[in-house]
Amino acid sequence: MSGGGTSGNIRRVLVFTLARLAALFVTVVIGVYLTIVIAHGGGELDDLRKAQIRSEISEAFAMDDEFRDLTPEERNKLIQTEIEREETRLRLDEPFIYRSADYLWQAINLNLGHSEQMHSDGGSRRVYHIIGERLPATLLLFGTANLLVFFSSIFFALFLSRRYGSRLDRSVVALAPTSAAPGWFYGIFLILVFAFLIPVLPSGGMVAAPPPVTTAAYALSVLKHMLLPVAAMFISSIFISIYSWRTFFLIYSSEDYVEMARAKGLPPRMIERRYILRPTLPPILTSFALMLIGLWGGAIILEQVFNWPGLGTLMFEAIGHRDTPVIIGAVVIFAYLLAITVFLLDIMYAILDPRVRLEGGKHS
Amino acid sequence: MPETLTDTLLRVEGLKLHYRTRNGVVRAVDDVSFDIRRNEAVVVLGESGCGKSSLAKALLRIPPRNTQECSGKVWLNGTDIMGMNEEKFRKEVRWSEISMVMQAAMNALNPVVRVGEQVAEPLCLHRGWSSERALKHAAGIFSLVGIPNDFMRRYPFELSGGMRQRAVLAMALVTEPSLVILDEPTSALDVLTQANIMNVLKRIKREMGTSFILITHDVSTSSEIADRVALMYAGQLVEFSNADDFFRNPAHPYSRLLMASVPRLRQVIRPEHIPGQPPSMLSVPEGCRFADRCPSRFERCVKNPDLLKINGDREVRCWLYEKGLKS
Repeated sequence: MSGGGTSGNIRRVLVFTLARLAALFVTVVIGVYLTIVIAHGGGELDDLRKAQIRSEISEAFAMDDEFRDLTPEERNKLIQTEIEREETRLRLDEPFIYRSADYLWQAINLNLGHSEQMHSDGGSRRVYHIIGERLPATLLLFGTANLLVFFSSIFFALFLSRRYGSRLDRSVVALAPTSAAPGWFYGIFLILVFAFLIPVLPSGGMVAAPPPVTTAAYALSVLKHMLLPVAAMFISSIFISIYSWRTFFLIYSSEDYVEMARAKGLPPRMIERRYILRPTLPPILTSFALMLIGLWGGAIILEQVFNWPGLGTLMFEAIGHRDTPVIIGAVVIFAYLLAITVFLLDIMYAILDPRVRLEGGKHS
Repeated sequence: MPETLTDTLLRVEGLKLHYRTRNGVVRAVDDVSFDIRRNEAVVVLGESGCGKSSLAKALLRIPPRNTQECSGKVWLNGTDIMGMNEEKFRKEVRWSEISMVMQAAMNALNPVVRVGEQVAEPLCLHRGWSSERALKHAAGIFSLVGIPNDFMRRYPFELSGGMRQRAVLAMALVTEPSLVILDEPTSALDVLTQANIMNVLKRIKREMGTSFILITHDVSTSSEIADRVALMYAGQLVEFSNADDFFRNPAHPYSRLLMASVPRLRQVIRPEHIPGQPPSMLSVPEGCRFADRCPSRFERCVKNPDLLKINGDREVRCWLYEKGLKS
């Protein structure tokens, strides 16, 4: 029953919301902790790091003329103190399991700390700055491409579902396997054609060097640089996306209530809006939200091919440098974004679909 | 050409609906002709798969996607509605003149729109009413079909099967169309609800002067409301008679066997079954389509007979009634 007291309803909604939040939080904590353990190699990485510190400090002493005159014993003693100091600074003298709890606490509090080796272009070693510097580039490129693909494929899929079996429909189905190749694959060809054979567009980067001074010229330059990577991503995913949405709409447009709407004499536009799109809004929304958070992280190879200064490249470098704070920082932010998205989706579902009840089936 | 008889509401001539399938063409409705008078209930009987539901879809011009051919002539009040363009047909015929209760009525309601809005929707659409006015009018129809008015604010999943069936019926009646096609409106319901809905239909027929095409395989329930009976077999009409004649004295051999198969309450007569199966709709025989199962089969049956008029207004597709053979 949809009835019940208003105050009771509010309490139910509140309890549901809190329970949901708690569950999501636990998920985030588990995910982040696993990342911390994995990024540290379950503590195995400590030995590696200790050896690294030892060799770096010994080398530094060997190179330094100031210590030339010391006896080997004295020098070794100095080196040992220096190593111990560095190990204490990085807290390598404590067992990993204790440190991991601390790391978890800091990560959950979004206290992402400092990187070990990497730094931002501005020279900062704060993980926030390092990630924050790359984020806009990734969001711009992947946001543009994915939004384009998403909306054009839904629009086109609806159009095709009305023309099931037509020549256009069949050719889209036939073109779907083009998506087997990733975006960077098409990127290489696009660069070859449009940057070298017919040199009209830049082959890589995000903005011309030196960067244009006026905002308009800067924007235009970024736009020109974006064209090829966006096109590469668009080509690689548009057909499979249209194909799957078209099949999705075909399934839902053979529902009995759609046929009924047709018999009722509703105009095709209205049938599409009220009887096909409206009931299927929850899954469409889910796919949209997951697409949005999928932007986070970018794509490593595509960014490499187009020399795009995004998060994909950053993660690649961070893994190469074993810069755990950067890796963990990125994962923590992603985990939070994912949790918030799922939470918002839960609420949206309840608003959009009357069948989704709070207790899951506790209706008449 | 159709003679515009004042009491003829719908006249169908040579209606065809053929489907394309992997195995060939299925002739679900194959050259069906009949007429329906004002304020008349015609029951279309037949086994599953004989083309009853396809007939309904062809009349409302909502053929499924795999349709190969949907043709024929249909006149409504003397107007050719098959020749109309789609837009004109949608605006002037669908729901304003002919409405329909679909076979899968349980699933015929949009799950995310309140029942009242769905029932009132055709009024806003076809009469341009405001939604308040439409809802107010719909409330009257809800009472007529026996749904409490506060159910209008509910969603379909909050209604029982019987209530949903009534809601779909209310939707079909809300624009007061001259013809309502009911495709198995009660087959998924328990007997009490069935009886209830049949009573509602009878009342509406009496009070609103509506004509009905009731498609069913349930002989007993249909006898409640039928004025005339059309019996279909393998995509064609095999008998079209007054209900009294049909139920008391079925003419076609298939009709006779069908009536003998209906169980009666507390009688010692055992219901008979008809041996054999209807022909595959993919390859219908050249001759009479019932010949294989017919006990009265004779040499004439290698050709398919036309509908023959007997006793004035009965029509039978059987060589037994050819002039001179049987009086």
